[in-house]
Amino acid sequence: MSLGNPFPPPASRARLRAAKWGDRIFLVLTGLGAAGVIGLLVAFVAVLYYKAQPTIKLLGFSFLYTQIWNPTGGVYGVVPFAVGTLLTSGLALLIAVPLSLGAAIFLTQQAPQWMRRPVGQVIELLASVPSIIYGFWGLIVLVPIMRVDVEPLLKEYLGWTGWFGGTPIGLDVLTASVVLSIMAIPTITAVSRDSMAAVPLSQKEAAISLGATDWEVTRRAVVPYARSGIVAGVTLGLGRALGETMAVTLVIGNKSAIPTSLFSQGQTITSLLANDFFEQATPLELPALIEAALVLLVITLAVTIIGRVILARFQRSGTAGLE
Amino acid sequence: MQNSSSSSPPPTETIQRKGQSRTGLYAVVAVVVVVVLIVAGGYALGWFKTSSPSTSTSGCTLPASQTLSGAGSTLVAPLMIAWSLAYTASTVNYASVGSGAGITDITSKSVDYGASDAPLNPAQRAAIPSPGVITIPESAGAAVPIYNLAVSHTLKFDGAVLAGIYLGDITNWNNSALQAINPGVTLPSATIQVVHRSDGSGTTFVWSSWLSDENATWKSTVGFGTTVNWPTGIGAKGNSGVTATVQSTPDSIGYVDINYALTNSVAYGAVENPSGNYILANVSNIASAIKDANPTLPAPTGDWYNVSVLNAPGAGDYPLATFTYIFLYTDLGAAYGSSFSMVDAENLVDFAAWMVNESGGQLFSAGLYYVPLPAAVSAFDASAIAALTYNGAKIPVCVPTGISPTG
Repeated sequence: MSLGNPFPPPASRARLRAAKWGDRIFLVLTGLGAAGVIGLLVAFVAVLYYKAQPTIKLLGFSFLYTQIWNPTGGVYGVVPFAVGTLLTSGLALLIAVPLSLGAAIFLTQQAPQWMRRPVGQVIELLASVPSIIYGFWGLIVLVPIMRVDVEPLLKEYLGWTGWFGGTPIGLDVLTASVVLSIMAIPTITAVSRDSMAAVPLSQKEAAISLGATDWEVTRRAVVPYARSGIVAGVTLGLGRALGETMAVTLVIGNKSAIPTSLFSQGQTITSLLANDFFEQATPLELPALIEAALVLLVITLAVTIIGRVILARFQRSGTAGLE
Repeated sequence: MQNSSSSSPPPTETIQRKGQSRTGLYAVVAVVVVVVLIVAGGYALGWFKTSSPSTSTSGCTLPASQTLSGAGSTLVAPLMIAWSLAYTASTVNYASVGSGAGITDITSKSVDYGASDAPLNPAQRAAIPSPGVITIPESAGAAVPIYNLAVSHTLKFDGAVLAGIYLGDITNWNNSALQAINPGVTLPSATIQVVHRSDGSGTTFVWSSWLSDENATWKSTVGFGTTVNWPTGIGAKGNSGVTATVQSTPDSIGYVDINYALTNSVAYGAVENPSGNYILANVSNIASAIKDANPTLPAPTGDWYNVSVLNAPGAGDYPLATFTYIFLYTDLGAAYGSSFSMVDAENLVDFAAWMVNESGGQLFSAGLYYVPLPAAVSAFDASAIAALTYNGAKIPVCVPTGISPTG
């Protein structure tokens, strides 16, 4: 059976020329779009670097290892905030990844058909809730729960680890991490659910025909196939956690010191910017804040690149295993 | 056979999904179109235009209405917004971006007036370009200590106790110094959770200035400013953040501007004034404090950094009162150049004069828990505004009348 050429040859030479020109204009337009995006990123880094010159020149590398931030004393160190950012985001992933993967597996493999779409859509809806709402919810609802119910228990049973020292008051690194994890869960779940839903039926049928249990099907057929999507989801979730500002500012307690336990108050780079950007104590604080923003950008880029590398490795081994 | 099987339609689930998501997309597009049509139609029908009644004056002629822009303090934002909605002689846009940003914006001449809770500090004053600005108080308020503690009576505080708490020396609510000034109150044995502002703030400026006046250790170790290095405590962003944190943290203490304490009905303490009386702040005892402090105000173009209405001498005066300020260029033509006409300048001085007028903008204060300026300060402001020039020429001032909170 012949289907015919879906793109019949142009009727005339003039039409052909017009089509060629159209393609060229199209190419220029899309090319401009791509160049614009790259240009924005370059301009962004350049401006940050330029505006941070006063502190980069004055403080040099000491900005990267000084552990004190005291604008009135002229001492600027990004360490407390970099630690706060990495600690809260890391903890958030530790909480969010298992929950998200569980939800995604349930929604694609085990939930009854009628339930999959509505629940999936609700989860996607959660991803678009503005962060300030998570922040207020965290401050008003979660903080009291953490202070009264969760943190005293952690202190009693896990206090010996040294991670849960000090008086638990709810406004601390742990609560910030929990809020961040709740914000990352919808993103990770939605992306991994999509990639798990895209696993071909033949993969699963093959595993089932070999007598695999639900667990084995998930572990041997679904997860390996969907791995790249899962890593992409986790990277996106991490990106959201690293960049989150308002929700963290509301619940982390905003203390410019390296947290000594998960119950201590801390600051992330974003909360530092939110707090200090509009009211600098000294003229030198503005370039210092901009340099901190630059550090956050580098951290985010590094994390994204690491995510890509993991993805590339998975894809290589993944395709090798599949075909 | 193989060919036909590979080109067979994908599972029905996928098709449904595609179909439904397309329907969803159409629905979204339809909703957006409808909303846009409603907004556009409403705009055409004049829904969003406030009826602009002819503004009455006391005999003088108002210039053609122009648009004015101001930016700064979040603390006075509710008042500024009420003013800009009610004021009919010009269109006034106010951006509530924070006092520091307000100072930055007036320094870069990107707004017509800047608003700040704290006066310009020496570095900020040095950065203002020629021809320089005037500083005038446009409203007043006070910082109050708020707390979350299960006690039967309103707590009393004095400078020594508050400084001790914020220095981290007094850590428990049943501290003997606190108990001594609160006889008859059963203070629980609980760790005090200290809450302070994490962002720079005029409220912090008042609070730390007063603690510096009251306590030598505070003055030498912490000092005062819009941000200070807190020896202890939890940082919360904004007056609303401090209020919410104190409300949700048992055994906590914080400080906010009085309008936040009143609008959120959070408990606040009485503070000892220089006469030895414990005063629970309200609009009238803050107003009398500002009047009694009789601040020998510097020249409008002078250095306002050390102006203080703290610790007023009257027996019933609240000790933690403060002005909030606006900044205007002394010569508007020289500052903004030809893009800012004499008519713009007239609009600006008329609005400024109306803001500080007792029967103008100041009428709006009480309903929003701000403190109206005393008559002497109003008059001081009015003469400072009348002295503004446009390329050396005097700018005629015409204050609109009859704009009130109800009307």
